[in-house]
Amino acid sequence: MTADTLPLNKSGKILEILPSPLKINLMELGFLPGKKITLQHLAPSGGPMAFQMEETLLALRKSEAALIRVEQI
Amino acid sequence: MAETTLSPKTHTSRIALVGNPNVGKSTIFNYLTGLNQKIGNYPGVTVDKKTGSAQINGETFEILDLPGTYSLFPNSEDEIIAHRVLNHTKLEAKPDHVLMIVDSSQLSRGLFLASQLIDLGVNLAVILNMADLAQKNNLEIKAYELFKALGVPILSTDARNQKGLEEVKNLISQRNFHRAPGFIDIQQVVPVDMLEQVKSKFELENLYQAYQMIRFGTRDKAVSPDDRTWLEALAQKSEFDLEEAQLEETKIRYKKITEIVTKALTKKTEPKPKSSLDRIFLHPIWGYVIFISILLLIFQTIFTWASYPMDLIDGLFADISGWISSALPDGPLTRLLAEGVIPGIGGVVIFIPQIALLFGFLAILEDTGYMSRVVFLMDRWMRPFGLHGKSIVPLVSGVACAIPGVMAARNISNWKEKMITILITPLMSCSARLPVYIILIGLTVPDEVVLGFVNLQALALLGLYLLGIIGVFGTAFLLKLILKTSEKSFLLSELPPYRIPRWSDVGITMFEKSKTFVMEAGKVILAISIVLWVLASYGPPSRMEQIRQEGLARLENVSDETQIAEIEAETNSHLLENSFIGIMGRAIEPAIKPLGYDWKIGIALITSFAAREVFVSTMATIYSIGGDLEDELTIREKLDQQINANTGEKTFNTATAFSLMVFYAFAMQCMSTLAVVKRETKGWKWPLIQTIYMSVLAYLGALITYQILS
Repeated sequence: MTADTLPLNKSGKILEILPSPLKINLMELGFLPGKKITLQHLAPSGGPMAFQMEETLLALRKSEAALIRVEQI
Repeated sequence: MAETTLSPKTHTSRIALVGNPNVGKSTIFNYLTGLNQKIGNYPGVTVDKKTGSAQINGETFEILDLPGTYSLFPNSEDEIIAHRVLNHTKLEAKPDHVLMIVDSSQLSRGLFLASQLIDLGVNLAVILNMADLAQKNNLEIKAYELFKALGVPILSTDARNQKGLEEVKNLISQRNFHRAPGFIDIQQVVPVDMLEQVKSKFELENLYQAYQMIRFGTRDKAVSPDDRTWLEALAQKSEFDLEEAQLEETKIRYKKITEIVTKALTKKTEPKPKSSLDRIFLHPIWGYVIFISILLLIFQTIFTWASYPMDLIDGLFADISGWISSALPDGPLTRLLAEGVIPGIGGVVIFIPQIALLFGFLAILEDTGYMSRVVFLMDRWMRPFGLHGKSIVPLVSGVACAIPGVMAARNISNWKEKMITILITPLMSCSARLPVYIILIGLTVPDEVVLGFVNLQALALLGLYLLGIIGVFGTAFLLKLILKTSEKSFLLSELPPYRIPRWSDVGITMFEKSKTFVMEAGKVILAISIVLWVLASYGPPSRMEQIRQEGLARLENVSDETQIAEIEAETNSHLLENSFIGIMGRAIEPAIKPLGYDWKIGIALITSFAAREVFVSTMATIYSIGGDLEDELTIREKLDQQINANTGEKTFNTATAFSLMVFYAFAMQCMSTLAVVKRETKGWKWPLIQTIYMSVLAYLGALITYQILS
């Protein structure tokens, strides 16, 4: 599954970042295989999603979260 | 091992501040430089060059504040600048030392950039800032472990609470920066012979610089076209996937950083739970309710607070003008000073209260961490119009004044989204349109209550604001289809923890933004107001002289004060009608006749190009209303009596008044905004395009309105 399909308040472990021009942006922010992310907030009507990763809360668009392959934990 | 740079320098040492966004870099910059800051330009980009000078132990240092970046991979203009300054690209002088600021609670992300700086071979020192946050998160950093792993001096500070800042000064004054040995071996990801070729061709210091050059030099306009072709050819010849190498580099770097962080960082608790403030502020319903309430509160405050200093400035400049015309001998020079230059400067200064207050509030929202929540909430609703969540800030500012709005658009990194935002922000109904609306609504809309509670005049005003908003989103949608960019739009932003704002930083922001506006836009505004004054004061000499003589002749046999004032007002009105602007007004009459305007309104349209509110005073002059201009009722009564020579009807009937209001809602009649757009887009192309499209929109809107209503 990808991070955009994580249910609210659930966590996932990152498996890989799918190829895209944004891959490097995601990786430099720290989205790396093995990290744990938790979906904490959802903007209404398919808006951005906010994930807690370690000490940071990060906002991503749904299409950007879809680039992060995770397994739910 | 590490080489200390204590060599005596004859020139002023340049120190660059580098760091991720939101790490307190500007607080440290403000602490070091105070108000000794300068904003300049980097060639070819819209990013501002922020420099300042710091006095430490009697010695002067030049401090360069680089835009916040996550890496040296130049994805945005901000990152291109960091890349360009830190690599030796000849366009920008390389700093002698680099002070990197890291958020203690985001250690790995900060170390990622730090490790790239180490590999570039810069003289580096690292500040672990926000020690308070790390403490709150129960993180303990062993600075010595970091020093051992990185090989550069490490300092811990809490800039927000003024802790450890003296040590930063000491570090700078002792030049305690080290050039550490490389962090990763770039040969692991790129063939060494290719790098060696680049290194010798560009006379670079090490292989990582060579890697940066071949990876990004082909896209950097600071590299000469010949060199770019050479680099492209080399990359093609070696058939090497540089993009893959960059991803590989990122992985290797983070792997090594994770090892270091495991040793240097002790975590005492589990990751943070959801913040209780975010439960409300990011709530799908309450989040928006709170956002709108905060907006209303801010506008209420701006309108109330700004009006006092604005009235004061208005009065002060009127007094100066009056004093000059009475104290100096009458002549063209005195009149230029009293009627052109002084009001021109006044027209610049009058915007300062609004700009300063708006930027004060924006700084508070930004500093508390709330602004990024607004971006999170609004992104979904902005995107269908080719805008970014960040566009909400300029648009909201535009309700008070488009100038700070346009200036705030620079935070949008995507070129297309930024341009659309800048182009449409002036369509929001700003406070300068209010006087025009109020006079025209008062003239034509009855002050009646319908349906029990709806005041018709208020309804008309609301309608004009809505018209502006419709204009904004309609135009944005069209521009989205027209403008092209290869850049990918992304959100990817941090929602920083909520904090109390740093008041001194808020103050410095207000001061710096106002200063930038006065210095940069002021020149253009002053020039245009002088041109407009000349056009309005001079006409064909013989005709102007004749009118003056007639006026004097009429005055000869009159002694009654009111009559004198009346005759003088009429003479002034004749003079304006026959001035160059008057001639222009007549010349455009055929074009504006379909909108329901006569040539007198044409004159007001031309003069109010300087600023919309000038409409009111021009109307007063044209219709020879002497005495107190402040008295709105006098103007209204006079206007109500005017008969259109073409139609024989009242000049300001409902159709004409509404057509005028629609025209003012859309037209780009604010040279201050134009000057700021020129500054932000670094050229006249976009302000010109903006003026043209807004004029067309205004013309068509007014035409349709008049044709329907008449």
